[in-house]
Amino acid sequence: RGFCAPAGPPSTRQLREADEAAPVFQYAGKAARRKDRVFVWGFSYSGALGIPSFVKPDAGWKKPRRIQPTPYRLETEDKISSAACGYGFTLLASNTRDITKVWGMGLNKDSQLGFQRSRRDQTKAYDYVLEPSPIPLPLQKPQQTRVLQVSCGRAHSLVLTDSEGVFTMGNNSYGQCGRKVVEDEIYSGSHLIHQLKEFDSRVVQVVCGQDHSLFRTKKGSVYACGWGADGQTGLGHYNITSVPTKLHGDIAGVNIIQVSSYGDCCLAVSDEGDVFGWGNSEYLQLASVTETTQVNVPRHLPFKIGKVKEAACGGTGNIVLTEEGNVFVWGYGILGKGPNLTETAEPEMIPPSLFGWSDFSPDTRVAHVRCGLSQFAALTNRGELFVWGKNLRGCLGTGRMEDQYFPWRVTVPGEVLDVACGVDHMVSMVRSF
Amino acid sequence: LNAAPERAPRQRVRFLPSPAPEGGGAVELVAASVPVLADHPLVRGPRFRKLKIGAGHRLDVKASGVFVLGIGHGNKLLSDLYNCHLTKVYTVGGLFGKATDDFSDTGNLIEKTTFDHITREKLERILAVIQGTNQKALLMYSNIDMKTQEAYELAVKGLIRPMGKSPPIITAIRCLQFALPEFQLEIHCLHETQQYLRKVVHEIGLELKSSAVCTQVRRTRDGVFTVDDALPRTQWNLQSIQEAIRNCQLKVETELEKTLA
Repeated sequence: RGFCAPAGPPSTRQLREADEAAPVFQYAGKAARRKDRVFVWGFSYSGALGIPSFVKPDAGWKKPRRIQPTPYRLETEDKISSAACGYGFTLLASNTRDITKVWGMGLNKDSQLGFQRSRRDQTKAYDYVLEPSPIPLPLQKPQQTRVLQVSCGRAHSLVLTDSEGVFTMGNNSYGQCGRKVVEDEIYSGSHLIHQLKEFDSRVVQVVCGQDHSLFRTKKGSVYACGWGADGQTGLGHYNITSVPTKLHGDIAGVNIIQVSSYGDCCLAVSDEGDVFGWGNSEYLQLASVTETTQVNVPRHLPFKIGKVKEAACGGTGNIVLTEEGNVFVWGYGILGKGPNLTETAEPEMIPPSLFGWSDFSPDTRVAHVRCGLSQFAALTNRGELFVWGKNLRGCLGTGRMEDQYFPWRVTVPGEVLDVACGVDHMVSMVRSF
Repeated sequence: LNAAPERAPRQRVRFLPSPAPEGGGAVELVAASVPVLADHPLVRGPRFRKLKIGAGHRLDVKASGVFVLGIGHGNKLLSDLYNCHLTKVYTVGGLFGKATDDFSDTGNLIEKTTFDHITREKLERILAVIQGTNQKALLMYSNIDMKTQEAYELAVKGLIRPMGKSPPIITAIRCLQFALPEFQLEIHCLHETQQYLRKVVHEIGLELKSSAVCTQVRRTRDGVFTVDDALPRTQWNLQSIQEAIRNCQLKVETELEKTLA
């Protein structure tokens, strides 16, 4: 009686003492570094997303996931610096000096991912690779050469290194790998990886079209090889080329700083901001200069939209980014200006307010543009990713299956640094917050 | 209000008997306009015995700022203003390093964390993400079919807004001041509550791998009414109220016409 006082509400002094006595937790130190991650989404049944549990689930009662409609994290041990999506397969490359620099996953029926030795039968190769598997490149100095960039086409892929030229693998029925076409060659399970070295200067960018390859050298010239029936090799004829040959036409003597292609049309940007195009023009991609549907010589496209910084070519539509940060689209398909605009031969601008520009944030602008077969992607300087176009098997990553007629923001947990678009899937390189 | 000069009493024409000019007992009816006795102030009493006052959007006990009230017939305008779904602007102050149970600095302490790794750049990045996700929510809750041309046109102009019930949406957010451990944000939002804003501050702290509490919530704008139109406590008298109503009348009318037309 009288020894213990009932507990009332804590007085100010008790609160302050409890406050000071509380332990302080530290979740991130001063030198906490932001991590680089890879996110994938789209059609997963071909293994192109690199997550085996989507195709072959780990438990018997789980169903395989055909489509991944929202970004899903792909765990990789190394920091991926470059990625490329082909038609049902993906290549990831890292800038390291270790022996394994390139990983591939997805379709491998034409050995576009090299020879993936099957574990059950040592002589046969896998036709579908479900996990990022290393691709053995025949390098002279494997511990010094770095892989700069990878690119994928319909059934072939190119790997660009800094000192050992370009490595090509996959289907060569049109000479797109840069070597002589062999009649009745069987491409599946082939060990052959061809190396290309003879260009006028070092190759700085490789681009794969559907069945052709483009190489851009440091001096600003462009080489091409592969199928040319639509004029996409730009060499002045409609035959196939099996050896990379230099392009002339309107780009002779011009310093080209970027080339782009994904379908059968090609675009090149010069250092002065001019755009050159060649290849298929059935969808009005080059209709501003010519009425013919196939252009086999590079032609200058006289657009009065300002200095062009970057261009990207899709299957039926093209997109360019100017120095001021404006985005222009033309061609056929879902171009991004609502359902009414389906085709145009002259570039139309997409209003910057759709990319997050507003009076509140006036310096938000588009930094990069990328193109898939019938989708477009734009990256802003704030690290946001906007996609639009045909939503083929969930490749837009919006979480819905409907087509998107104007730019829509994709929710990715991080700042998007780069994105690679394919036919029905996309891969993005993201830095965490 | 009752002391103000009242309106004049009604006049009525009555025929009043008055003595005839000839004299001598004969009564004549003369028409005269006389005030009605029922309107006499002593009969009627004070004009106003109570006033109908309605409140606009709610404001917490712990928050401060612009609070819209409607008087008498103005209450009908209040419901119209609510259906306009205009954005409100808040100034929210926060403090890093603490986490409490009701997200404000007067609650029970749950956790203390370090915050010296936080920079203004990281905060702005998180704010950009919040703005982006809320932008998507804005488009999704506005119930417009995304496949139509008019949806595209509205999206370009930035006029897509949810015109019905929706969860709280932040249309714009930016950092006004940043001085560790304190920071101040300006938030434009729709359909929110002040507790939701305190929760947003708490979540910002979590995203930055630390913790934060909200110290101040102040509404600086509610639709068309800004802090300049609002009356501080010293001016809560009849003259200022009447003047304020007169000043805002035009603004309210134009806004209602524009949105509900």
